[in-house]
Amino acid sequence: MASLIGKIKMLQEVKRLQYSLLPGGFVSLLLLGFAFVLFFILFFSQEDASVAQLDSRVFSLLKFTLYQAFLSTLLSVLVGLVLAWSLAHQSNFKGRSLLVALFSSSLVLPTLIVVFGLISVLGRNGWVNQLNLYLFDHSFGSYLYGLTGILVAHVYLNASFASRSLLHVFESIPKEKYKLAKSLNFTTFQRFIYVEWPALRTTLLSIASTIFLLCFTSFAIVLVLGGSPAYNTLEVAIYEAVKLEFDIGMALKLALIQLAVTTLLVLFSANFRTSVGNVRTSTLSIPWSESKHVKRFQVTMIGLFSLFFILPLLAIIVDGIGAKFTRILTAPLFIKSFFTSMGLATVSSILTVLFALFLSDTKRNFTLKHRLPNNIFSKILNTIISFSGNLYLAVPSLIMGLGFFLLSQTYEAPMAVWSTIALLTANVLMSLPFALAILAPVMQKTGQRYDKLVFSLNLSPWQRWVYCEYPYLKSSIGYVLALSFCFSLGDLGIIALFGSDDFLTLPWYLYQLMGSYRTSDAAGVALILLAITLCVFILLPRLFRSSIAKDN
Amino acid sequence: MSKFIQTLFLILLLSIASFGSDTLPTLTIYTYDAFAVSWGPGPKIKKAFEQEYECNVKFMGLSSSIGALRKIQLEGKNTKADILLGLDTNIAQAAKKTGLFAKHDLNTSNLDLPVPYTDEYFVPYDYSYVAFVYDENKVKNPPTSFEALAAMPEDFKIVIQDPRSSTPGLSLLLWVKEVYKEKAGAYWKKLSPHILTITKGWSESYGLFLKGEADMVLSYTTSPAYHIIEENRTNFKSARFDEGHYGQIEVAAMLKSSKHKELAKNFLHFLHSETFAEIIPTANWAYPVVKTKQGLPEVFETLTQPSKMILLDGKTVELHRKEIINEWLHSLER
Repeated sequence: MASLIGKIKMLQEVKRLQYSLLPGGFVSLLLLGFAFVLFFILFFSQEDASVAQLDSRVFSLLKFTLYQAFLSTLLSVLVGLVLAWSLAHQSNFKGRSLLVALFSSSLVLPTLIVVFGLISVLGRNGWVNQLNLYLFDHSFGSYLYGLTGILVAHVYLNASFASRSLLHVFESIPKEKYKLAKSLNFTTFQRFIYVEWPALRTTLLSIASTIFLLCFTSFAIVLVLGGSPAYNTLEVAIYEAVKLEFDIGMALKLALIQLAVTTLLVLFSANFRTSVGNVRTSTLSIPWSESKHVKRFQVTMIGLFSLFFILPLLAIIVDGIGAKFTRILTAPLFIKSFFTSMGLATVSSILTVLFALFLSDTKRNFTLKHRLPNNIFSKILNTIISFSGNLYLAVPSLIMGLGFFLLSQTYEAPMAVWSTIALLTANVLMSLPFALAILAPVMQKTGQRYDKLVFSLNLSPWQRWVYCEYPYLKSSIGYVLALSFCFSLGDLGIIALFGSDDFLTLPWYLYQLMGSYRTSDAAGVALILLAITLCVFILLPRLFRSSIAKDN
Repeated sequence: MSKFIQTLFLILLLSIASFGSDTLPTLTIYTYDAFAVSWGPGPKIKKAFEQEYECNVKFMGLSSSIGALRKIQLEGKNTKADILLGLDTNIAQAAKKTGLFAKHDLNTSNLDLPVPYTDEYFVPYDYSYVAFVYDENKVKNPPTSFEALAAMPEDFKIVIQDPRSSTPGLSLLLWVKEVYKEKAGAYWKKLSPHILTITKGWSESYGLFLKGEADMVLSYTTSPAYHIIEENRTNFKSARFDEGHYGQIEVAAMLKSSKHKELAKNFLHFLHSETFAEIIPTANWAYPVVKTKQGLPEVFETLTQPSKMILLDGKTVELHRKEIINEWLHSLER
């Protein structure tokens, strides 16, 4: 009898929550269905079952991909850790908050732009070499192509990203712990081991696993700086198999191996819980004045990394300013790519926000205790929802692109339609993990706070949204919109398979310009792309700023 | 969601609008970007051909000529291309195997080529010799053979092109194979520290070289003519190799799926006209396949003349191409 009442109560509960369960459930099913179709196409388009026939080339590709991802992760995390540690202890450093804000923009910098800037600074004719030639009559030569270049670019993008999240951890360590450590007369090293390390460990692990996945599937950087088939990642090899050799069989073989490895990595790695929120740095300084040597070391570290981070951006601006903008802006291909990019970015950022809202709305039904019973069933559903949002980590761009490409071969439609669908899907999936990481916790909080009130007032879903959710979510939504807009704007992934003169995006256009020795035009386009990205990333969240959501 | 549908609709409308706006037939030619760009031969040829035949010519420049072939393969029978221009005799056989190209029925036996060449599908339009180009002011002792190249100091860097996407890249591979036979793999291993980077197409390589990123670039014996005529710079030279130089005959063919077959055939015929032959030397920087009254510009006499032309038969190349490329890939592995 009691169990029957329980069941009835639960059914009533489900009915009451249907507006919160259904949209997210639908989105989740859509995403999983997409993954299933993709896998189905990839697996069954193989003409012969020659997966077993793996030659040494495939093996060496896998080996190199893992090797560079491992090195990149190790270096990025190390540099990021030292940087975060230095920043945390130098809270009075001038321009600190500006630096931190700048480092967090690395997340949205188009990879191609970074490569462009790095070549200008570190290339054979780059600033560093020219200065060195001028001062010491010595050039470091060319070292940027191959493994070094890949590592430098990966560290550039990921160390700043890692430092941002780690700094947050440093700042959330209770100040009392530092006071205690101080009274125990700890050395700087002891302080790190006993106070800071325990707090850092989990975040470090989740950051490392995220960076490893990002580097494992790295495409644009390896494509431009890899320079030789010896430095190909699987992702680039898939692209080459399709675009250079038209060897779909080989591409499929590589894609399935890539898929197997990424799926394993995603299953075994820590959850994607990296904090990417637009949290401001704390102004509370750590109650510990550093010794002279440590302070000097920390300031040097901050200075060096800032230089390493800012110079390539400066190079883009310096190189770009000299470009003939009237020529660039009137080029039909530029206009076409500009509008395609902006259109795609707008649509995909709106879709991302909608999907993320639906998913996190549904997700909280399984995590809030007062909603659905917290049993194994809820846990499984919660995992499924989370997994569908983080699909991109398991299914990287090029594999998705290959799937769409095979579909376009089977079902007739104008290529522009297929390209649009493929790019939108990729862009949305790429931003979803970040969007979920930002929006889900806020929605969880508003659920906790307002559920009772909402249910007792019997508010409609729309009223609930207007009065309870939106005011709290507003600023996060602004941030997610900016983030996914910039991701979409800067991505050189699937477009590499689908790009043509009829359908092109700004990064693809830039890649074409870089490839056809129109350096000055490329510099101009790079500057435009950088300017749009930074403007959107800085200004869009401001439009959504709200006083209520400040503390979220 | 409605915005998404709107965008799709807009793209569809735009593509329809661009089809219907002109009554003249448009001949679409896929080629490599250095041919199609505004300072390349494309615009001049477009103008000359449009004047002679009532039509529009549209050049579509891809990053490489093999890239253009792959694009046609990707698009299959729906390709917009009427003509593919820019492959060479090494890869034409592979293109023929796709079954996408049509026979030309032109007589090509009287052309002015260093070696006899006839093919039912692909017609030649210019030729040159593959060579490494360097800046005389920076490289004082250029290598004179493959051995000398591999023996250059460690920091001497070259940029080459990927043989899977670029015709000069494939030519270099065949050149080395022809000189070293079964020791080709070992030679590539020896050469690999000097390779700065391998690009998809020729123009990317040449851009890197001009930016000063590398000491030498894989290009043609005729490339220095560009710098002399267009830029008045005589410091660019091509290294003369004692082993002889691999020849490259560039070819074009029309597609079976073309909706303007007559026009396409006229274009192939036009490739052997004097008008075309006069444009080629100072726009595509290669030797034309037809003798003109004007003859070649004087500058061409100052260019490197190879001791002999090495050129493998297209059918032989096709039989061994995958093998040779795999050997190359393996010897670059580290």
